[in-house]
Amino acid sequence: MQRKTAKFKALVAILGLAAAALASPARAETTLLNVSYDPTRELYTEYNAAFAKYWKEKSGEVVTVKQSHGGAAKQARAVIDGLQADVVTLALSYDIDELHAKGKLIPADWQKRLPNNSSPYTSTIVLLVRKGNPKNIKDWGDLAKPGTAVITPNPKTSGGARYNYLAAWGWALQQPGGNDKTAQDLLTKIYKNVPVLDSGARGSTTTFIERGIGDVLITWENEALLAVKELGPDKFDIVVPSLSVLAEPPVTVVDKVTNRRGTRKLAEAYLNYLYSDEGQDIAGKHFYRPTNEKVAKKYEKQFPKVKLFTVDETFGGWQKAQKTHFADGGLFDRIYGIR
Amino acid sequence: MSNSARIGPLVGVLALAGLASLSLPAHAASTQDELEALKQTVRELQKRLEALDQAVDQKVKIVERKQELVNEDVSKKLKDAPTVTASNKGFSIRSSDKDFEFKLRGLAHVDYRAYDGDANEQTTGNVPVATDGFLARRLRPTFEGTLFGKYGFRFTPEFAESGDGGAAASGDRRNNRVRVVDAYFDVNANDAYKFRIGKHKPFVGLERLQSGSDIKFIERSYVSNNILPNRDIGVSVHGDVLDKKLSYAVGYFNGVADGGDNFTSVDDNTDKDFAWRLFSTPFTGSGGILEGLGFGVAGTWANDSNTNALPRYRTPGQNQFFAYRSTTTANGSRSRISPQAYYYNGPLGVLAEYAQVKQDVSSSTAGVGSAELKNDAWQIAVTWLLTGEDASFKGVKPLQPFKFGEPSGWGAWEVGLRYQENNLDRDAARFADPTATNRPGFALGVRTWGVGLSWYHNENSKFLVNYESTCLDDVTAGTGASAVLRGDKERFLSFRYQVAY
Repeated sequence: MQRKTAKFKALVAILGLAAAALASPARAETTLLNVSYDPTRELYTEYNAAFAKYWKEKSGEVVTVKQSHGGAAKQARAVIDGLQADVVTLALSYDIDELHAKGKLIPADWQKRLPNNSSPYTSTIVLLVRKGNPKNIKDWGDLAKPGTAVITPNPKTSGGARYNYLAAWGWALQQPGGNDKTAQDLLTKIYKNVPVLDSGARGSTTTFIERGIGDVLITWENEALLAVKELGPDKFDIVVPSLSVLAEPPVTVVDKVTNRRGTRKLAEAYLNYLYSDEGQDIAGKHFYRPTNEKVAKKYEKQFPKVKLFTVDETFGGWQKAQKTHFADGGLFDRIYGIR
Repeated sequence: MSNSARIGPLVGVLALAGLASLSLPAHAASTQDELEALKQTVRELQKRLEALDQAVDQKVKIVERKQELVNEDVSKKLKDAPTVTASNKGFSIRSSDKDFEFKLRGLAHVDYRAYDGDANEQTTGNVPVATDGFLARRLRPTFEGTLFGKYGFRFTPEFAESGDGGAAASGDRRNNRVRVVDAYFDVNANDAYKFRIGKHKPFVGLERLQSGSDIKFIERSYVSNNILPNRDIGVSVHGDVLDKKLSYAVGYFNGVADGGDNFTSVDDNTDKDFAWRLFSTPFTGSGGILEGLGFGVAGTWANDSNTNALPRYRTPGQNQFFAYRSTTTANGSRSRISPQAYYYNGPLGVLAEYAQVKQDVSSSTAGVGSAELKNDAWQIAVTWLLTGEDASFKGVKPLQPFKFGEPSGWGAWEVGLRYQENNLDRDAARFADPTATNRPGFALGVRTWGVGLSWYHNENSKFLVNYESTCLDDVTAGTGASAVLRGDKERFLSFRYQVAY
């Protein structure tokens, strides 16, 4: 009897070890994957280094943050399809909503978990033209003129492209006699002028700047400011339109992945650090508009004054805007299909 | 001549000159206009040409960019596509993220054994066990794979004849039945924590853990074949810790006889074996002379009640030199312990291990009784690569592969020397039966020295030849005793051709 008991205890011990082996994927790891949208490469390269330093000092743990960049919709799709993102930092909330709707990877109320609807920084959309503005482009209406080649990415894959589209649409609505029909006419004419649709904002920047294609690039304010800084003010001018859209790129922890990998605490710290003075300062340095008032004040001179509208007030939110404009068979398909 | 007559022609000339001067500006103005118009036209044409040039330039750039985007898309799709590989490592299909993989590998051993005269041939019943001839020793395809990056499986059937010295080998050799060598699943949480379930090698014997394609002699030593378990069905937790300088393993198995293989999925008793092993390579990464040193200790423990899990002990030539009588059973505890070590430095390789088994046995034959028997074995094998390759626990990669029928290198050549012993407890004699009809008699000790030569053509193909000479001690010849037991010595030559991928 005693022998049986000893054997049973040994068996239980073995089972305990086996169970621990099976459960061990939940053991904390020190790598994070940040899946982000296209133009944030430089921002997160610096931010990741700063966070690693901060985390080492705080916890003694060495952390490595990997980055993945691409069109926001494509990136969201990749995460839904299994890319093991610990955090996503995408261009707009709709793409992150999809992680809940199609992948059940995060809760429905994810946007309430961090300040400012989980957007640690904002931006807007401006126009980048060649030096001297040879096509005399001053506002959205000028993009519809025949012979003006417009560079913008594909709204089906790029969050920035959707902001570009909605900025022009919102401007058209505000013009005298403006309505959905005049806005659709404007967008139809603009997309007739688009020779290449890249899948992401950085691709369009390459098309316009490096390949020398087009007269005007519709792009993120941070991307335009970066281009002018990197390539010199003698090559490009930024045209600030009379009205543009407020872009609020949100961030979230991917619950299902971080719970499985045991990285949740680290991932949360990573995103919270974006709201710190240091994180906000790095955002400002990379031409994103900080949400922290103190840091925003420091960088206010680098941002042009522009009248902004939000997607919520003009389009009833991202869900509605997506369904109306960018879903399969939506207005964009009709506009681009009849070019 | 009057003045008027002199002035007349002059006036005429002047008049003509005046007329001419009157008509000249009109002509000049017209030419100028034409010139201006032409210039304007040229300018306009130039402008249009420039615009056209610009438009063509833009069109070309757009076409090029579109092509670039298509190429990027194609490259990405190719990058995301599964990879199909056929190489000297086998055949595989793998997902782009490497999380899923299926591999087909194989191992084939074709041997020829030649004994020193007919006197060394032996039969068990009517079945020849050790005779001159060819033998398909291993014919093993292996199917293995990875799932979700951390999970794996391996399935290896055996299509060759058995009779490889295992405890249950008797009578198997001519059956040609397909057996399962390995069939297990892995969970590889991380390097320090791995979990294996199914039929596999218990983490005990050092040479046993060396792949069949990497062993240096044609047959493993007495330690592997006569004392420690071969393969068993159970579970193991194992891993590498301390910067991969210490390996550990613990396992729980059905339990097999010494040197035995678990042939069936049904255990014949409720008693189980615990297996454990600690092995250290403390100088890994040091770059010093001791970098290739590894040593450790392993063991098993079980408490059996009246099972027939008792071994038959065999020589390298597969001659049986000891078997328990049928009335003897394993009854009580069985513990094995095996200190073990290897050392590799340049072309030199040394492998040494010892194993002792303490086995409680009892007999239902009147007057024989019970006993705890201590049987042990040890070996030391030294190899040297003549062609300058580095020796290792794993295979040899020739510096200059040999290719049949074309100019090439000599491949890799390796010589080896091995000494091994297997000694049985004096009391074991009580439990053997030398007197019954066709009983082969027995010996209580064997000592074998052997030399080997290996020719590695490339990573996948090699040829081996071994000569081994075995002396038997404390021989008791039975009525049907084999010649080897009558002659007290076994000498045999073996050849092997191996293909492994």
